[in-house]
Amino acid sequence: MLIEIIKMAFESLLAKKIRSILSMLGIIIGVSTVIAVFAIGQGAQQAVNAQFEGLSAKTIMVMSMRGRGSTSSTKLAVGDAKILKDKGQHIELATGAIQGNASVSYGSTSASLSVIGSDLDYYKISNLELSAGRLITEDELSNNDKVAILGNGATETLFPEGQNPLGAVVTIAGKKVEIVGVFKEVGSSMGPMRVDDSVFMPYTTAQKTILGNGGSVMLNIQADSVDNVELATEELTNILREEHKLKESQENDFRVMDAGSMVGAAQESAQLMSILLTLIAAITLLVSGIGIMNVMFVTVAERTKEIGIAKAIGGKQGDILSQFLLESVILSTVGGIIGIIIGQAAIPIISSFNLMTLASSVTGPLLGFSFSVLVGVFFGFYPAFKASRLDPVDALRSE
Amino acid sequence: MENKIEIKLENVHKSYYLANKEEVPVLNGIDLEIKRGEFVAIMGESGGGKTTLLNIIGCLHPLSRGMYYLTGENIGNVRDDFTLAFIRNKKMGFIFQQFNLFTRLSALKNVALPALYAGKEKEERERKAKKLLEDIGLGDRLYHRPTELSGGQQQRVAICRALINDPDIILADEPTGALDSKSGLEVMDIFTGFKKQERTVIMVTHTAEVAKYADRIIYLRDGKVISDNYQLHSNY
Repeated sequence: MLIEIIKMAFESLLAKKIRSILSMLGIIIGVSTVIAVFAIGQGAQQAVNAQFEGLSAKTIMVMSMRGRGSTSSTKLAVGDAKILKDKGQHIELATGAIQGNASVSYGSTSASLSVIGSDLDYYKISNLELSAGRLITEDELSNNDKVAILGNGATETLFPEGQNPLGAVVTIAGKKVEIVGVFKEVGSSMGPMRVDDSVFMPYTTAQKTILGNGGSVMLNIQADSVDNVELATEELTNILREEHKLKESQENDFRVMDAGSMVGAAQESAQLMSILLTLIAAITLLVSGIGIMNVMFVTVAERTKEIGIAKAIGGKQGDILSQFLLESVILSTVGGIIGIIIGQAAIPIISSFNLMTLASSVTGPLLGFSFSVLVGVFFGFYPAFKASRLDPVDALRSE
Repeated sequence: MENKIEIKLENVHKSYYLANKEEVPVLNGIDLEIKRGEFVAIMGESGGGKTTLLNIIGCLHPLSRGMYYLTGENIGNVRDDFTLAFIRNKKMGFIFQQFNLFTRLSALKNVALPALYAGKEKEERERKAKKLLEDIGLGDRLYHRPTELSGGQQQRVAICRALINDPDIILADEPTGALDSKSGLEVMDIFTGFKKQERTVIMVTHTAEVAKYADRIIYLRDGKVISDNYQLHSNY
């Protein structure tokens, strides 16, 4: 019985192909949006996780506060790292770096790259390993020597033809700097810094010669245990306030973020994006549902006579209701399946533009499918109900 | 022939209401008894209430007032869709002037549809539909759609549809009205054959030519029976 009714529903939908396709279009777009939303959400989550992979939960970041409601100048310096390490009781390790952008050129090749001036512990804490050459020495640090180590990506940018970078002299912000080493590819980024595309220098040189006031300072502090992150944060805040000679009334001239809250913030923004996109998908599905309802009303009106005949030969209200309800559910479900296919196919295409990370999930298609069935039932019910309640004689009389 | 009363109407009234709530009486107290196996023609002027009476007998309309006994049971007050649909499905077979076949379905599927509503299995309903179509001379038209059939053929498909659930009563509204005279005669031949099957036939017509096939002719005017006579050839 049900199979026969489904067959009849298909037949009547096929009889009006263009109308059926057009009314499915909304569902197709809605469901593919749902799929994309989940892929983007999942991707953003993964991107956040990848970005902070290098950070342990013990990590606390201290950043310079630039003109944010506080005094415009900050006293935060890379040297503060050493002070924190010496004075802090719950601070196991502290390194610092100053980061900024500078134009870097070699021969006729030139690019704007991120310059990271750091102390020597920074390389350890960031898991940077040499692929060629050597690290910067203690002496070079104290002498403000113009030496640099290139990240993997920076090397490729400056030496596109595969020349040996070791010993090469590049120009950074107009100053001649010798390359002494090259780091292996890291892939992820260290907080906001893109490690692979950076040039690493002694912080002294970077601060005084290259970046001046144009760099932002970031300290990377490791608490002695995960449980002491809060204690360490309090401690370092007090030490820094003292060092910077801030009065009671003055606010911090630096920002402190621990890894946990940084990941939290990034996840929150990824979630917010997901919520917004979900809202859009929901609205699309709602609109498509209204479209289906509209089409079903037209269909019922057109087939009023048929409904009258069906009633005259013994069709029950339930038979007529299920007939029309099935038509709308078939419309929305077929649309949903097409939407899932399009949505899934779009994921690798969008990903290939490298604008954002997308990851396909099982939840997306499942949710898209269930929503499309629901839309069909919900928006198909009222027209089908109306059809089933038509007066048989009035229906028979209509043309 | 057994003279069991199949249909009995007592003082049946039916009114329609216009949009401004004005009452338009159509049937004004019909009293009628129709016995099992009778072939009754209902005649009368347009607007006399012929089709309304047929629709009331066919349970498509509720009555406004009066009693309707179907094989002894008063069903005049029944409003429940399930019961009414059951009566229309199992006890009655409708035949219309314009055939009213489903254009998207083949002849076979059209005939089998009431059996689908009756909950019969596909194999059973299609076997039965095929037998009916073959008996009526449409064995080679099973898979044709109504648009591929002549008017006479379509009406014969509609007759098969009316018969699939083996009803006791056949209700026909101007069954020959859209047919040429030859096809009309064929349909009347089939109708007179229903007598042997002990089916009661109630047919609305305005053509005396067609009505003369019936055992009994009832005239309606202004919603009342003005004459009700058995014909000479009838056995009553």
